[in-house]
Amino acid sequence: MLRNRVKELRARYGYTQSELGKKVDVTRQTIAFIEKGEFSPSITLALKLADALQVEIGELFWLEEEE
Amino acid sequence: MKKDFRITYPLWNMAFILILAVMAVGFTSSFVNVTKTDSSLSIEMQAVEGFLLFAALIAYLVLTTIYLIALQAYNRKNPGKKISPFSMRPPEYMEEDEGMTFITRKAVQKVYTFITWTLPLFALIVMLFPIPRLFIVWGILALAFGQNLIYYLEMRRHLKEAAE
Repeated sequence: MLRNRVKELRARYGYTQSELGKKVDVTRQTIAFIEKGEFSPSITLALKLADALQVEIGELFWLEEEE
Repeated sequence: MKKDFRITYPLWNMAFILILAVMAVGFTSSFVNVTKTDSSLSIEMQAVEGFLLFAALIAYLVLTTIYLIALQAYNRKNPGKKISPFSMRPPEYMEEDEGMTFITRKAVQKVYTFITWTLPLFALIVMLFPIPRLFIVWGILALAFGQNLIYYLEMRRHLKEAAE
């Protein structure tokens, strides 16, 4: 299962979901879906998010084995 | 997003379907066939059918007018994502980015599953039993209603979760 720290890092930079969405060209809802783990973004979007949140992609997204 | 016309679009479809279901009573003659032996009752039922047809036509025209006004207002506020009332592609698809495409796909998959099971089942029922024309029309409209309801509820669930 794909886990992420988007919500945590977004809060660190003080971005709203809409602001982060604008930075990476997606809707606020898509940011919410990613944060909730409901939707796994494409590599392109994951890279854009890592860039916007100034972290390596591996620090932002990682795989966790399902129990 | 709450005021996005695309989210409420299936509700418009459902309202139109309900009116069509009433209109179908006027267009079919099943009730008249049932009551042919009693002429006085037959006349009464025809009057009811006529009234239902007339009322449904008026309701359809009123709803169409409200729909077109609402659509025009939406298009004025959203010049970047205008909806054409004559578009072949269902306007309720939300595909502005990959996240929205993802939830639209999930909703469409649910609708497809529903249609895959119910349509052949309905066809089988119609073939096996002597069902009056009105009930066949109602059955088709019920499938269309169900399809819109499933799509609307699935999209609303995802968008509600995203809003929390």
